[in-house]
Amino acid sequence: MLQLVLFNLFNGLIIGAFYVLVSLGLSMILNLSNVINFAHGNFLALGGYLAYVLIPYIGFWPSLLVAPLLTGVVGYLIEITMISRIYGRDPIYSLLLTFGLAFMLQDATRYIWGVNGLPLTVPDNLSAPLSQTYFFLNAYRLFLVGIVIVAVLGLFAFLRYSRMGMRIRAGILDLDTVSALGINVRRLRSLNFAFGIFLAGLAGVLAGGQIGLNPNMGDSLLLPSFVAIIVGGMGSLVGTLLGGLTIGVAAALTAVVWPAASDVVVYVIMAIVLLVRPRGFLGEEGMQ
Amino acid sequence: MLEVSNVTKTFGSLVAVREVSLTVERGELRAIIGPNGAGKTTFFNLISGFFPPTKGRIIFDGQDVTNLPVPGRVKRGMARTFQITEVFPELPVRENVRIAVEVGAGYALRPRLSATERSGVNRAIDELLERTRITAKAHRLVGELAHGDQRIAEIAMALALKPRLLLLDEPTAGMGEQETFEIAGLIRRLHREENYSIVLVEHDMRLVFHLADRITVLAEGALLADGTPSDIAANPDVQAAYLGHAA
Amino acid sequence: MSGLLKSPPGDRHRLPVLALVWMILLLCPFWIPYIGGYTSLGTRILVLGLAAMSLNFLIGFTGIVSFGHAAYFGLGVYGCGLILRYVTGSTPLGLVAGMLLGGLAGTAVGALITKRRGIYFAMVTIAFQQIFYFIAYKWNGLTGGFDGLRGFTRANLDLGFTTINIINNDYAFYYFVLFVFAIAVGIMGLVLRSPFGRTLLAIRENERRARFLGINIERHIWLAFTLSAFFISIAGGLYALLNNFADPSSLYTDLSGELVIMCVLGGIRVFWGPLLGAALYVVLQDYISSHTVNWMFFVGLIFVVVVMFFPRGLLGMLRRRSEA
Repeated sequence: MLQLVLFNLFNGLIIGAFYVLVSLGLSMILNLSNVINFAHGNFLALGGYLAYVLIPYIGFWPSLLVAPLLTGVVGYLIEITMISRIYGRDPIYSLLLTFGLAFMLQDATRYIWGVNGLPLTVPDNLSAPLSQTYFFLNAYRLFLVGIVIVAVLGLFAFLRYSRMGMRIRAGILDLDTVSALGINVRRLRSLNFAFGIFLAGLAGVLAGGQIGLNPNMGDSLLLPSFVAIIVGGMGSLVGTLLGGLTIGVAAALTAVVWPAASDVVVYVIMAIVLLVRPRGFLGEEGMQ
Repeated sequence: MLEVSNVTKTFGSLVAVREVSLTVERGELRAIIGPNGAGKTTFFNLISGFFPPTKGRIIFDGQDVTNLPVPGRVKRGMARTFQITEVFPELPVRENVRIAVEVGAGYALRPRLSATERSGVNRAIDELLERTRITAKAHRLVGELAHGDQRIAEIAMALALKPRLLLLDEPTAGMGEQETFEIAGLIRRLHREENYSIVLVEHDMRLVFHLADRITVLAEGALLADGTPSDIAANPDVQAAYLGHAA
Repeated sequence: MSGLLKSPPGDRHRLPVLALVWMILLLCPFWIPYIGGYTSLGTRILVLGLAAMSLNFLIGFTGIVSFGHAAYFGLGVYGCGLILRYVTGSTPLGLVAGMLLGGLAGTAVGALITKRRGIYFAMVTIAFQQIFYFIAYKWNGLTGGFDGLRGFTRANLDLGFTTINIINNDYAFYYFVLFVFAIAVGIMGLVLRSPFGRTLLAIRENERRARFLGINIERHIWLAFTLSAFFISIAGGLYALLNNFADPSSLYTDLSGELVIMCVLGGIRVFWGPLLGAALYVVLQDYISSHTVNWMFFVGLIFVVVVMFFPRGLLGMLRRRSEA
């Protein structure tokens, strides 16, 4: 039993780590651009497929960085050509736009790489199991958690210490003032969008190594990531981080006792949080 | 009528309003003035219930309304306008006023009105449009009207709530000469002929000294002076902090 | 023709517009074959049109965007299907059950989310939709899970003195759906023209002004959300009757998005806009999916093109042109 609980707990951490990567990107975009990016899961898949293409040429390790970067570039291009044009309009338009983009990206992925799943090969030394008793502790999964931790620390350091990161944080708090200070808000939003997409791409490569590639691979991560943002509190990236881990672990532990409910429990947590603490774990009072 | 005692409002570490008190008598027109950043609008928002004060009490008509949300205050007889006109831009003037009349009459949740009720509403709308002299533009969309007319429509909506205290936040902000003149005329009529109690925040000094019974001066969030227009004009502190400032 | 297409609060052209719309709908089975359609396509458009109009009650007339309204539509589908499958073979009871299931769920969810606005409101509605989706998807024993709920059919209408055959007679079923549609849309129109309906317009136009008129914004948004959920779950019930089938895709995000695009395609500020939007969308989607396996790409493209180039929708553009 203990082993089962540990197994699920660790699974929860893994899933939670994916939720964290996806929801941090979504959250950055939501906070600065006021856009819900429905296509986020499709960018994730794109990241995985780009790595699939790159690995034969440049190997796994460089691909781990290059594929997400390329995904970020694609995101950047889509932002400047389409999404940036609907800033300031009724939220209904940004919702529909990214919703349509999600359809297009998903179908394009399917068209290019096929409906059936593809494997993403990871280096041998990463796929070996580390322990007989705790068979679930293979190197890849530890590596995955490690990468996510590095990425998250990197992100927070970037937001705290770099000039651009500070501008992004200031923009989240008060875009008008940032704009009045002569900072190019439009460019800031585009780059911020690209950062969010980079994180999605990274999640895609990691997920591909874990479960393989398919065109819908991001779908199951997208909606729980919304929940992570809501539960963590709108406007707070640390909140999003906590939210992602919480729901990942909660879903995994529920799977021990009642597997059928493990998907629903995420949303039940959300309902409870909305009822008891509507602004979420770390949400700002005014942010709704 | 209105008794504000020692209200303070802080936002984080910023003290926007510090220990301000004020008493408005029935039928009085009170102007609140002060240099930019004096906390006038914050103070005004405290009175109208936009947000609750951090400290202090607000008594309206003998009842404590300090933490009462907006709908409750409106029900007790407070109505306000905004510095940046707040109307329903895509609806005609008449529909703007109709909504205000219906809500004011307590019909907000009604699925339908009886014929008598409906004609009562229509009479009230006609009368309000007449009183504010905007009947001629009743069928225009408010969003298409000139600034001054939008403001008048907004005042008509406030009047539709049959308030006992009218709160006007910079009623002539951004208006031209002619518009200011018209709005000042409307405020004077409401005050002198219809006996409304009015509190207004205003930048236009001519208007303030012309209309107000009493003037409250705020500076840096605190009460600087309170008195009749001639008291205030003669007050050296006010001249130093405000009039000198403006000159 | 200024105002010809205007929504409530109406004007002098309201009656001609109503007459025109109802003529088109009443005669639909007779003209639709001439443009290459068939009666049950008309029925489908009517059902989805009612769903989109119910959603637009919120989007267009209260100014609040729900992006998770398929939840209440889908609960209407399942409510109706489950009653027919397990309890009684009565079509009207099925509809009532669907309406109650979806409507009450909407009432409960609405109570939790009225403090949120804009994009955040949309996000929470999306998330709540997932609860109902997973319940339908996972509760295999009751709902048939992923494969959907089968084994029920709509029953003929027993009026006491006669029985109307809606099982095999497409015409009869169309008129039955039109009857229900008329009642729902009629009530919707009356609500929008009532003092309560005007408070919703007030919230859409300017929430701050509405609040300072003394309107209890949260309560009114909650009521609007609730009414909208009841209306859309009636459409859901009709959808179950139309297909004799209920499956989880009827409460999935994709359908929510499609309902929103129907509203925008027709014009959200126009009462009948979403009905036209539904017709356009259904026809376009049918056409695309019969011509290419990559229909998803092109459906996505419709979304993008509408948002970028036709944000006012068809009727919205006509109305604007006629006013210019």
